[in-house]
Amino acid sequence: MTEWVPRSRVRTTLAVVLPGAPQLLSGRRASGGFALTVWVGLLALLASRADRVRAAFTGAADQRLAVLSLVVGLAASWVWSVLDTRRPQHVSEVGISQRTLTMRAFSRNRVAVAGLLAIGVFYLVALLTPLIAPYDPTAQGSLLAERLVGPSALHPLGTDRFARDVFSRLLYGARISLTIGFVAVAISVTIGTVLGAVSGYFGGIVDGVIMRFVDMVIAFPRLILLIAIIALFQPSIFLIIAVLGLTQWPATTRIVRGEVLSLREREFIEAAHALGYSRARIILRHLIPNSLAPIIVAATLGIGNTIVLEAGLSFLGLGVQPPTASWGTMVADGRDHLLGAWWVATFPGLAIVLTVLAFNLVGDGLRDALDPRMRT
Amino acid sequence: MRLNSRIATLFVAGGALVWAGCGGEGGAGGPAAGAEDFCRRVRVAVAAYMDSVEAANPVPDDERYGGTAVVGTIGELTDGMNALVSADYGSQQHQLFVNLMPLIVNDPETLDPLPYLAESWEVNDEETAITFHIRRDVHWHDGMPTDAHDVAFTYLTVTDPRTAFPNAAFWDYYVKGPEGVEVLDDYTVRIRMRPHAEFMDPWRTLAIMSEHLLADVPPEQLKQHPFGTQCPVGDGPFVFVEHRPNDRWVFRANPGFPPALGGRPYLDRYVYRIIPEQTTLLTELLTGGLDVYPAPRSDQAKAILDAPELELRHYPFRNYVFVGWNSRRPQLADRRVRKAMTMGTDRARIVKALLKGYGRVANGTLPPFHWAYEPDSLPQFPYDPDAARALLDDAGWIDRDGDGVRENEDGVRLEVSIKYNQGNQQRQDVAEIMQAQLARIGVEVHPQVVEWGTLLDQIMSPERRDFDGVVMAWVTEFNVDDRDLFDSHRIDQPYAWSGTRNPVLDHYLDTLQLIVDRDKARPVWLAYERALADEHPYTLFYFPDRLDGVNRRLKNVRMDVRGEWVDIKDWWIDPGQRRTR
Amino acid sequence: MTRYLVRRLLGAVPLVLGIATIVFFVVNAAPGDPTQYLLAPGLRPEVVAQMRANFGLDQPIHIRYVKWMAALLSGDFGYSYSHSRPVLDVIGAALPNTLILSALALALAFAAGIVLGTIQAVRQHRPTDSVLSVILLFFYSMPSFWLALMLILTFSLYARNVWGWPIWFPASGVHSVHYAFLSLGGKLRDRALHLVLPTASLALVLAAGVARYMRASMLEVIRQDFIRTARAKGLSERAVVFRHALRNALIPAITLLGLYLPFLFSGTVFIETVFAWPGMGKTIIDAISARDYPVVMAGSFIFAVMVVAGNLVADVLYAVVDPRIRYD
Repeated sequence: MTEWVPRSRVRTTLAVVLPGAPQLLSGRRASGGFALTVWVGLLALLASRADRVRAAFTGAADQRLAVLSLVVGLAASWVWSVLDTRRPQHVSEVGISQRTLTMRAFSRNRVAVAGLLAIGVFYLVALLTPLIAPYDPTAQGSLLAERLVGPSALHPLGTDRFARDVFSRLLYGARISLTIGFVAVAISVTIGTVLGAVSGYFGGIVDGVIMRFVDMVIAFPRLILLIAIIALFQPSIFLIIAVLGLTQWPATTRIVRGEVLSLREREFIEAAHALGYSRARIILRHLIPNSLAPIIVAATLGIGNTIVLEAGLSFLGLGVQPPTASWGTMVADGRDHLLGAWWVATFPGLAIVLTVLAFNLVGDGLRDALDPRMRT
Repeated sequence: MRLNSRIATLFVAGGALVWAGCGGEGGAGGPAAGAEDFCRRVRVAVAAYMDSVEAANPVPDDERYGGTAVVGTIGELTDGMNALVSADYGSQQHQLFVNLMPLIVNDPETLDPLPYLAESWEVNDEETAITFHIRRDVHWHDGMPTDAHDVAFTYLTVTDPRTAFPNAAFWDYYVKGPEGVEVLDDYTVRIRMRPHAEFMDPWRTLAIMSEHLLADVPPEQLKQHPFGTQCPVGDGPFVFVEHRPNDRWVFRANPGFPPALGGRPYLDRYVYRIIPEQTTLLTELLTGGLDVYPAPRSDQAKAILDAPELELRHYPFRNYVFVGWNSRRPQLADRRVRKAMTMGTDRARIVKALLKGYGRVANGTLPPFHWAYEPDSLPQFPYDPDAARALLDDAGWIDRDGDGVRENEDGVRLEVSIKYNQGNQQRQDVAEIMQAQLARIGVEVHPQVVEWGTLLDQIMSPERRDFDGVVMAWVTEFNVDDRDLFDSHRIDQPYAWSGTRNPVLDHYLDTLQLIVDRDKARPVWLAYERALADEHPYTLFYFPDRLDGVNRRLKNVRMDVRGEWVDIKDWWIDPGQRRTR
Repeated sequence: MTRYLVRRLLGAVPLVLGIATIVFFVVNAAPGDPTQYLLAPGLRPEVVAQMRANFGLDQPIHIRYVKWMAALLSGDFGYSYSHSRPVLDVIGAALPNTLILSALALALAFAAGIVLGTIQAVRQHRPTDSVLSVILLFFYSMPSFWLALMLILTFSLYARNVWGWPIWFPASGVHSVHYAFLSLGGKLRDRALHLVLPTASLALVLAAGVARYMRASMLEVIRQDFIRTARAKGLSERAVVFRHALRNALIPAITLLGLYLPFLFSGTVFIETVFAWPGMGKTIIDAISARDYPVVMAGSFIFAVMVVAGNLVADVLYAVVDPRIRYD
């Protein structure tokens, strides 16, 4: 039974003026806090960088994207807050969906929620970077006076050896690392899941062939492939994503295959067979969804792993090529100055750690929330 | 039952693993077996002889004797002690000064040749033959004497095209083959040549190799011979002990080194360590793990200066860094554009900022140590953006559409790519700084990093020349020869990056190599360098000083343009500060 | 089972050879060749041509391939261009160093990871779990080479020069310069000291990953009915955890072991570079840059062999441990 409880005028007015506040007040700290932060933050950005925002309307593509994100962000938080305030409070007790259950379980895990919010902030910041970054990431300051200067008022995170602002480079580097991480893992998890499920379910020759293929890709010396490719073609982000994505899937395949091998003997699969379901249906609607937990864990581990791997490749000079700022190249640049200018390598390293941390927290939280046996 | 079968499968799996792992070894015959024999015989002979020499020459009673010195660098000595096939700096230094001996060495001040393995020499009046008299008291470390036959063998092998000796060009003006060398007696040898400048210089770079060990080896196989890196036999102040690939070389003092040349070195042992990471090298120097760290980065210099137990040596060296312009490209064909590139870059500031002052701006291809080096007589090309802009305007490059980048009258933009090899910080710095500074005079620069092998392919193959600008460094010998770079007759050969066709330069380049008398040559050098500055094929950047971090407990160390190891046989360690044993 | 094993072994041979062939053509297709490293004043094209001929590089690629493959199958790995010594020597010198480092790091990481993961699972919902989670995640998210540099700074440089600690760890190398002169005990100590920082850099990051996996696995197992039965039977918590839960929870860990085996070689590259550890990873990377084909080929071949064999072992262990798995 639904009941419509009239919202107080105060609350509605508050929702219009200060999105997120009413939710905060009624105890939903995560969503309320996030909406409020987004609203206030974006307004502050608009106010302090008004001139840049105006210029960005006619600027390059990523500048227009940034402005778009700004507008969308403001609109979204406002609309959500208003609608949410006016939404009926009670929800039917009959028929709680799987998704709601999962979301509730997830939201009870505070650390995981924090991770999710952090990821949201990271991606939002990455979109808004052209407006936020105080300096151009490739602009060099005075080579004599401003090289390797420590954190200061002008340069919150210091400068590197070309007198470039570390903070700005960090922001632009975020876009690269986040993109590479996400896309490469998306590719590899998709391939890996499908192959792993097929291999585990069918067994026999199919399994043999696929696993042989997996063996070959695992056994293939990835570094050699990467170096050869960088030598042969112009290294670009696409190429790196492609190679990373196409060489990381065996991990997922093995995991999924292991899961499917165990699941295959379970009673509910036997039941599905008995009911005459097609193989594709069994794989897609029964095996894979029940293997979802390790797949998600694998995906989140994968994104973190990929970001770290990309940093390692840049360290060896094989990843994203300078002068593009990626966190990996920044750590590599700063490696030679660790003794004298620790900030050049430390902050990108910390950025990597924090980002990967966030993804892993979310992955863990999701896995815990998805596992029906853990919701007691 | 089931347990047993499981254990059985485990064993099978284990066996498979072992078999697979061992699959590659064993059954290695052919060259490997021959190498082992060679090395075994050699080691036995060396051990036996060294024992007897050690017994006959006890360590003198002087507290300076003893201790181990350790030098650490990034690079391995790839060809080891095989002077017939190697060309890299580190290997050469060890061949010349540590394990083997060249005929001559150079005076520290004047760089004039001094006797070493050669006791004395005469040059005939026509300047077509040198007669060397070899010392009689030098022995190979396996007991055989070093004599004129070794010199003849070395000379013949080096000038034999089948050997593929990398520095074959040094011997261009010498008579090759058996007509070029005559062994007059066991300790006298005569070499024939055509008169040319600095004819003694090649002998400075070549360590004499042993005829009795290597004469039977076909020249094509010399590079693969184990002599170089597994069991070298020398005749110099230090005897080879061991070599662990990519890890270290170990040498010990030769008690039988001629007393007239200083006798047994003070050091007991000398270790050359290969450490691929410069931060680690500095750490090791600071914590006492190393005694010498050659060529630290300029920003590491401060840490060395601040440490009281270390000192920083710096001296002008033989290399220079430049951006080579491909004048075959339309945007770079006009010398005014190339000059504008130079004047639009603040080279003095770069030297100060990147090299921390350890270097000087280069305006000519003669390095500071060269006897004809006169920097003030050359055009300076100071940093002058206005003058650069004027030059570009003159050449017809004007910013017609207001986007900040100049175009010519056909609308082609003034865009250049500057390539540099990955992994080299200095060159990356240069490219990125040029990008920022040249943007201010309306030139759009794209720095491009390319893997080393690929880059060489792109710039060196005459059909490709796929570059606009490339950041490179060039190392000269004491005899500077720019013909490979700028002589138009060699324009289709690998080193003609700039594609220069200038008959005036050609004339100078050809005559300079033939003038023997330095006083006659000096004005010609000056004229050549001025003409080169006017043609301006390169934007020359700087002559970096060579830096070395040295622990003060190591005494009597002299380092200069001749190299870091030049008087290693005279180094000694403060007795109170020796390592454990 | 045995039939399966034999089938896999037979299949492994063409697999490894196939990988080696692909690597051969990929590396040879990269522009540049070993002689282009000798950029020296006056290096003439004729000299370069002669060098290439001496290396056997002037022959067409398919002939070179056939020759190389034939030599490989008879155990001759050829001569390294950049080291001027037999490839087997080069790799034989480098391989043990890598194996020591990575095997030790893997062993430590797995031991620590399994213990920590189990503790976390058993103490779920209590502060121990959360605190450990965060700490482990922090290490797991770190790039190992960065951790290595931090460790060098702290425990090598600062420890010795700034803080004057009695024990400080060496920053590079397998052993000290004066190693040859130490007593046996001294030698062991020296080696151990040199192993500490590199192993720590590797193991800390790995252990965190293993612990997470172990935790998830244990949690799944603990929820199962047979554990409830065991508890209902009155078994002590210790017996429940160790004799019942752990054994089942180890299954995914074995999968992980199989996955980490390739790491034995490539994963140590960064650490080897930072610590100047003379191992396989660095050797192969340098060989690639120098176009030292024989070393690259041999390294890839050995790598492939080890990985294939390692995976086989992992699969076998998997089947041994989990009786539900059948290989048709």
